This record gives sequence, C-alpha cells and structure tokens, in this order.
Amino acid sequence: MEYPQEVNPEWPLELVEIHKETYKRNNKASFCVRPVEMVDTLVIHHSETPATTTPLEINDFHLARGTPEDPWYMIAYSFVINSPYARTSLPIQKVTEGRPLEIVGAHAGTNVFVPMDEDQKRQWEENKILCGKENEEPKLDPSLVLNGEIKANVTTIGIVVNGNYSPFSISNPGGYSKKSPRYPTMKTQDLVAKLSCQLQKKFPRMKKIKWHSYYHDTTCPGTIKSYIGQIRTLAKRYGCEFN
Amino acid sequence: MRIQLTIFILLFSLSSTASDDKRMKELFQNYDKVMKQHKVELVDDVFSKKFLTDNGGKEDFIEKVKELPKEKKKINILKSWRKTKIANTYFAKIKEAQFIIIEEDGKLKIDGTVSDEH
Repeated sequence: MEYPQEVNPEWPLELVEIHKETYKRNNKASFCVRPVEMVDTLVIHHSETPATTTPLEINDFHLARGTPEDPWYMIAYSFVINSPYARTSLPIQKVTEGRPLEIVGAHAGTNVFVPMDEDQKRQWEENKILCGKENEEPKLDPSLVLNGEIKANVTTIGIVVNGNYSPFSISNPGGYSKKSPRYPTMKTQDLVAKLSCQLQKKFPRMKKIKWHSYYHDTTCPGTIKSYIGQIRTLAKRYGCEFN
Repeated sequence: MRIQLTIFILLFSLSSTASDDKRMKELFQNYDKVMKQHKVELVDDVFSKKFLTDNGGKEDFIEKVKELPKEKKKINILKSWRKTKIANTYFAKIKEAQFIIIEEDGKLKIDGTVSDEH
C-alpha cells in the first residue's frame, strides 16, 4: 500500500467516512454524559467475535448482557471498525459510529480510575458530567471519582475492531490457530490510524491511543496490542501525533 | 382457581429451569471433553453451525482443538448461567470465560464467547 511521503498540513478533515446507525437503547438503564472535550484517550479493543459481526449485532448483544440490577444502555463502544482478516475479502471495510461521543462508554472497566489533568478536574467540579435515565433529571454521580481519579470510561472512548485476534484456547474457542496467527492487516491498522487522526483533528485533546489490557487484566485486543505503535506511526502520516 | 393457576405456572417454571440447568451442565461437560480430551466427535453437539462456519469450518476447528494439550477432565466446569432477553439465548460462565449459548435443533450449543467490557 502506498502512503504519501509528505503530510499535507491542509489534509482534509474527513479521512474516513463514518457511517451512522440507529441503535435500540434500554431506557431502564442509566447513562452519563460528559463534554467530549474531556476525552484524552482512544482505547482499542477487539470484539472477540467474527470479523463480519455488525454494529447492530454488538448493540443487541450488549443490551442482552445487562441484567435487571445492572442494565446496559446501548453498545459500549463509540466506533466499530469492520475490516477483513488477511487473505479474506469480507467484511468490506467500514467505520460505524456506536455510542454517541458525549455519552460515557462502558468499555475500559467499571472499576478502573485514571488521573485527571487540571482542565478535567475543573469540568468535574463544575458538574459537567451528569448521569441518569432518559426522561430523568440528570444528576452528579460521586462514584465516578475516587481519590482524585476519575473512571477511565469518562476520559476515554472505545474503538472496537471486529474480529478475534487472540489465540485458540479453552477460554477462546473462536481464536486463531497457532499455525496461522491473526494480525491486523496494514489496511486495518491504517483505518484505525485514520479514524484516530480524524478524531484528534476535531478534538485536539485526544492525544493518546491505548489498548484494553492497558487498563485491566484481559486478553483484549489480542495481537492488535502489538500494532498500537505502528498505528501511531501511521497517524503521523496524516498529521497527527499520538502517545 | 387463580391461586391454582399461579402455583401451576410456578411449578412449571421451576421444572423448566431445572431442565435447562441439566442441559447446560451437560453441554459444558461435553465442552470439557472436546477441548481437554479431544473428543472431537462431540463438536457438532457442542458448537452451533454458525460458530463452526464463522471459525473456518468443522475440520479447521478440529485441527485447532488437536493443537491444545490434553488435560484431565473435570466433572462440572459450569459456574453459572442465565437467560437473556434474546429468544433462546443464554449466557454461561466457566472459570476461564463467559459464553453465548443458543438453542439449535432442540439442543443448547455454544455460539460464541463474551469479551469483557464495562
């Protein structure tokens, strides 16, 4: 795949077409809203499903995962990437919007807290993050902050690459064979890089790309983790710096 | 009459749950046999058609099973399970993972795994 050798600083804002979807939502579930400008990190996941899984299927599945005690509002991720594995042609590459950006996601781990910078602290103190159900008066939820740190889901957004990038095992029967490991193709990496850069150009605070297992003990996102550095490098070609 | 009907519905529901419990335990006993003892003749009983198709087909799947080291069987690996709002779909947990279970041809079968979010 050919890449431009020099990045045009006037590179168009729209590096990738983002498709919209209408999702069912669970109006019995609470959710929180926050200014998108608070988000500083993009967290990469794999879905641990076939690469052809659709965003609507993920939404249905996430709604079903909720219980009466802990209902899920809607798809946990803000973006869904469909991209084929190596040597396959389906699915067609596509980026679909998931949970709206202003709604706090449910992807990094509910008991994971991260430090806040001064601006994020100020937003918290000014009650800019409010929670509640649809048709309810939104309120402050003090459990979002603990010992001066904020829930990771508040200052991050989740980007899921559909597919199973972990090895076959007793706990992962959908994983890849040892003989043919599964890695994100250059096209997949490039799509993640383009989406990340497009988001940074709109929301300049989004300066970090991390992966799910950075936040807690999980195999997610499988081999994609080893390509985060490459994704950051690819994003540079489009005029974006991530760390 | 109403009380009798309520009791009947409750008993039926309990009986149905007990029956599903038995089927779920049996499914995971067979899962254990496939994955740890390589009893690959049980693959079609344990995994849904869609799951096998999505994962390269039955033959490819069996090859992957055979790559795993054999282990001693365990009697009951199922920790918990529940019905979901999606018809004929359940979630089930073992020590190592959480699974999506569907009803296919009158049997409970594994249709996928659940990755951890929240």
